[in-house]
Amino acid sequence: MATKPYEYYVDIVTKRYFHGVDNFDMGLVLDCFHEDAVLTEVTSMTVHEGRDAGIRTMFEGLFAAHSRIWHGNFVHTADTETEAICSQFSVEVTPQDADSELRYENCNRFYLAQGKFSRVFVYMSGENLLR
Amino acid sequence: MQYQSNLKREQLIDLALNAYFANVDQKNLEAVLDCFHDNAMITVQTAFATHAGKEEIRRMFVDFMGAYKTIIHKDFTCTVDEKNGRITACFTAELEDQHGNWTRLQNTNFWRIREDRFQEVYIYMSGENPLV
Repeated sequence: MATKPYEYYVDIVTKRYFHGVDNFDMGLVLDCFHEDAVLTEVTSMTVHEGRDAGIRTMFEGLFAAHSRIWHGNFVHTADTETEAICSQFSVEVTPQDADSELRYENCNRFYLAQGKFSRVFVYMSGENLLR
Repeated sequence: MQYQSNLKREQLIDLALNAYFANVDQKNLEAVLDCFHDNAMITVQTAFATHAGKEEIRRMFVDFMGAYKTIIHKDFTCTVDEKNGRITACFTAELEDQHGNWTRLQNTNFWRIREDRFQEVYIYMSGENPLV
């Protein structure tokens, strides 16, 4: 049974989560997750458990390692019935102390409960940035 | 690109799981190809490999079905965007090659449907790409 409208799923992914990531806003990013959320990077089977533990630590590392992060070119598959959204997108990042830009074509699968992420799965087209 | 499709939720799931994956596992090549438009495209995004057009897709499946004695796709979790003609599925793929070696992958497929069949398919794999 749908508890949130279609646009809620698109908005939490783009206007809250990835907007927070791209602007290095840890509070905005973590507010999208339940406390016991788990984020798994599938292509390297790296698991980050807990909003205020593993997931926070992962983002601290990501933010420290890059001077620019951008997510865009989204195509979403949003399902209000199962409270899930799967998103394809491009990522551009610039590592600290580097001029070169890295580009990825990734996808995320977000599974929500009561409007926040409970499980997130990430597939990356290149080397895993989410260590 | 946004495509027009009138398929309902259950029809989208049936296309992805029964018309497509069940026939891949049974090596029913023509039934698999019937799921695609002539100008469809498959991209294995984690390997930056694209197969454009039904003939390239046919060649890919001929090689894939020949390379593996056993092909199993199972444990599907579907996400369905009926309004936009899109469906994704995460699943386990188990492949047995001709020497009896097994490969196990945790993959996610994204399908974009035009009318009643696949126009674009994107595959994200947890391991090495067998769709070469």
